Amino acid sequence: MPEQLDQHDQAQVALVLFRVGPYRAALEACHVLAMTDQPTSSHTANAQSLLDDEGDHAPPTRWLTLRAAPTTNSENNSTWQLGVSGDITLQQLPANSLYPLPKLLLSRRFSTALCGCTFDQRQLVLLLDARKLSP
Amino acid sequence: MTAEHPRDGEANDQSSATLSLDEALAAHSDSETVVDVDEPTQQLVLFRLDGQRFALPGSAVSEILASDQPVYYVPGLPASTEGVLHLRGKIESVISLHQLLGLPTPEGTSKGMILLVRAAGVTSGVRIEQLDDVCEVTQSMLQAPPETLPGTLRPYVSALWQIDECQALALLDPEALFDAYQQGLG
Repeated sequence: MPEQLDQHDQAQVALVLFRVGPYRAALEACHVLAMTDQPTSSHTANAQSLLDDEGDHAPPTRWLTLRAAPTTNSENNSTWQLGVSGDITLQQLPANSLYPLPKLLLSRRFSTALCGCTFDQRQLVLLLDARKLSP
Repeated sequence: MTAEHPRDGEANDQSSATLSLDEALAAHSDSETVVDVDEPTQQLVLFRLDGQRFALPGSAVSEILASDQPVYYVPGLPASTEGVLHLRGKIESVISLHQLLGLPTPEGTSKGMILLVRAAGVTSGVRIEQLDDVCEVTQSMLQAPPETLPGTLRPYVSALWQIDECQALALLDPEALFDAYQQGLG
């Protein structure tokens, strides 16, 4: 057990950070296949509309290509694109600085993709589970 | 030195006021004001929401956080969720009880303190408008909630404390509050 804790203390997780409207968010880098300025896929979704149904949604300025969750009707290698905004950065963050969403909020979140949070430059960063996002 | 004797007419009055040393000392002791330690007591954290007086069991409140504790807004959650706070390397939710208790939602930004409440295996911050006191009360002072209690409060009130003829305070059940919140109420 102590070895596991020590491993967790030292481990890092590669994340792609971006903006979703006024908020900062991140996806695990291994799920992001590519980034483009314009959508190139017919399957797209604005991250803001997936996360927060209310309010006006600014048009995305970048598109992250993600692998689609396998279904019985789709091929395993199909992809879709998530519209985001702001500077896109790849960062390694310590595993022990990534926090799961508190229990009360897990039961009330609108999107099951919202799975946790972390802090970068004293700003909250929402952690999104790419496997739970879909167009 | 001459002894003073009571004059006629004063004797009866003085004899009725005569005390032994033990009695005189006991009259000044605190023995009569001490609460019976055998009677079970409960610590309560007294606070206000929408001007109404409420309490939570002290055993469920692990910390009282200052009003300037930073709370980070998290989108994609109901309006009764204020956000999360970062406390000594842990993340805790912060919720408002107004909607759950059927109270009007306060306008503007939250300014009151935050109670860190643990119940039903869940820890969460609860925003209050005003902290009144933390006190110890005997169990006998807590009465069963009356039938006249508003229906919106009834599921969450475990007892009522009639402070005086004009004021009563509702003791909230933190487990009932968190269970209801998790079930999508409030």
